[in-house]
Amino acid sequence: MSAHKGLTHKFYLLLILSMLVASCGTQVERVDVKEEHDLSGAWNDTDSQLVSEEMINDMLTRSWLNDYSNKYRRKPTVIVGTIRNLSHEHINVNTFVSDIERAMINSGRITFVASNQERGEIRSEREDQDLHAREDTRKPMGQELGADFMLQGSINTIIDMEGKTQLRYYQVDLTLISLADNRKVYLGQKKIKKLVKNSNLRL
Amino acid sequence: MLCKVRHRPIWLLFYFLVIFTTFTLSGCASYSDKFQSIEKELSEHDPEDALKELEKQDHSSSDELLYHLNKTMLLRMQKDFRGSNEQIELAKQFIEEYAATSVTETTASFTVNDTMRTYTATPLEQIMLNTYAAMNYLESGELDAARVEALQTDLRIRQLLESDPENVLHIDPFARYLTGMIYEDQGEWSDAMIAYRKAYQAYLAHAQIYDVSVPEYLKFDLLRMAKRNGLKNELKKLKLEFGIVSPKKTTKNGGQGEVVIFFHKSLAPVLIEQSVTQIDPGTGILIRFSLPYYQSRPSRLSHIRVMHNEQMENSQAVEHLDLIAKKNLEDALPAITARAFARAVTKYSISRNVQRQDDLVGLLFNVMTVMTEQADTRSWLTLPAEVLMARLKLPIGEQTISIELIDIGGSVTYSTELKNVVIETGKRRYYSYHWIAPTMTRH
Repeated sequence: MSAHKGLTHKFYLLLILSMLVASCGTQVERVDVKEEHDLSGAWNDTDSQLVSEEMINDMLTRSWLNDYSNKYRRKPTVIVGTIRNLSHEHINVNTFVSDIERAMINSGRITFVASNQERGEIRSEREDQDLHAREDTRKPMGQELGADFMLQGSINTIIDMEGKTQLRYYQVDLTLISLADNRKVYLGQKKIKKLVKNSNLRL
Repeated sequence: MLCKVRHRPIWLLFYFLVIFTTFTLSGCASYSDKFQSIEKELSEHDPEDALKELEKQDHSSSDELLYHLNKTMLLRMQKDFRGSNEQIELAKQFIEEYAATSVTETTASFTVNDTMRTYTATPLEQIMLNTYAAMNYLESGELDAARVEALQTDLRIRQLLESDPENVLHIDPFARYLTGMIYEDQGEWSDAMIAYRKAYQAYLAHAQIYDVSVPEYLKFDLLRMAKRNGLKNELKKLKLEFGIVSPKKTTKNGGQGEVVIFFHKSLAPVLIEQSVTQIDPGTGILIRFSLPYYQSRPSRLSHIRVMHNEQMENSQAVEHLDLIAKKNLEDALPAITARAFARAVTKYSISRNVQRQDDLVGLLFNVMTVMTEQADTRSWLTLPAEVLMARLKLPIGEQTISIELIDIGGSVTYSTELKNVVIETGKRRYYSYHWIAPTMTRH
């Protein structure tokens, strides 16, 4: 009798377990964008924001900025050039560039001009205004602000691994180059290390 | 009698339920059998309809990866490189997620059959994921993204070698060769030289296992990179080794660019189930033993010939997926056989226990154990059997290239033109052709 009771209990236990497994469907939860979530160990939005803010803050505290401001009595004009992804991951460089641009503009210490890709649309709009806009609101050609410096950079990775453990080492390099004479006025570097341990077993 | 029923172990009931469910859900058709309708569309050179056919089919969660892998190739065949790469990224995530050994699936593979395990691709298929992603990016002109895939290829080979250091088949020569071409396109001469060297070593190592030779193109690439890197001694040694006195093809002249055409020939071999069913004369219990084996898809295609004005080049084989897959299975067969044997013993002993308690239930149970015994015939069936490469040095500007498909008898079976190929100084343009044998029905 007790064996029969035990069997019934085990059957119910199995049934409950099956129901629990079946209930593991898609779940959606809203999270704060400021919260850090590192799911896979890959480069993510938090890395992009932290690196861009830290590097731009570092760039703006260096001597080139004061040197320029003292010499020309105005804020330097900067343009973002190419940031190359030389890493092991398909990193969305556009997001990183946006983070850099935001950090630079919000600092208020430099003037920032539209990049090569963005300029095309602006120029086309100006051409269009030339034909269709009222004269007092029309923006003339040839009044663009020329950049003094171009920011270029790259994202590199080195991956070391053993078994299911990976040490991911990200290195972001930014270089600010004077457009007048090709002088490199700032070299910035930021490194991130991530230890990613994957499980050997799953259910 | 009642007493016997009471003492019947819970796992017997559970096992019965698992087998019944598996049988009901999966039916008897193997994965490769279910794929025949897609093959039919492909044999008619209609990847669009083949994709529709793939989308129509049910995909169990354990076969989800195969859906992504096949969709990758079917989209690529339609020149949808972005869509193809999206599928590749999903496939990579899936492989990473399911890389850990599953306790329940391993148990099921020892008790029901090997198809109970989530498919996570063979080492060759995993490398091909990066290789095809790289080719997709190269054909889209996204060099930096192709470079990411080159780095990932290197990482994947390192991972595979870590778990099986002696297996030279993990070092795929074409994957290595393509990474070298990517580095060279980026102007990273040193990395290109290293990758070409590794590719050369891999071709030599593979030549010890199956019939493959070092592509002539690679020899000239090695000489060019050795020269560019100033490796005089190595250049001298390689010239002697290759028997090349004057490396005429090694110059990448100003005012010239290059077109690289990959020819993806036929389809990879298909896994077929081979089963043996025996009856135990003492108990009347049936025992079934199923193992997979590879069957090549017959093809009459040989190679392609590319032409531009007076220039003519025949394609050279750079990857033998058919042969590598077969060698990989040969290596994996002892483990597959051991699992099949363990299953046969388990199924026999349980059938025997059930039979002792009730003959009819025992018979039904035994039939079910036999019917659920299936070989795992899952594989990336839309991969080609071989990849061939043809290259032409062309003057800058817009060019038209003639391409001829040659059959094994040496006759031209199909010809086409590749138009509007814009050649830039010192740059390469990449193109692919997938040709699947029209007589693809299996025997």
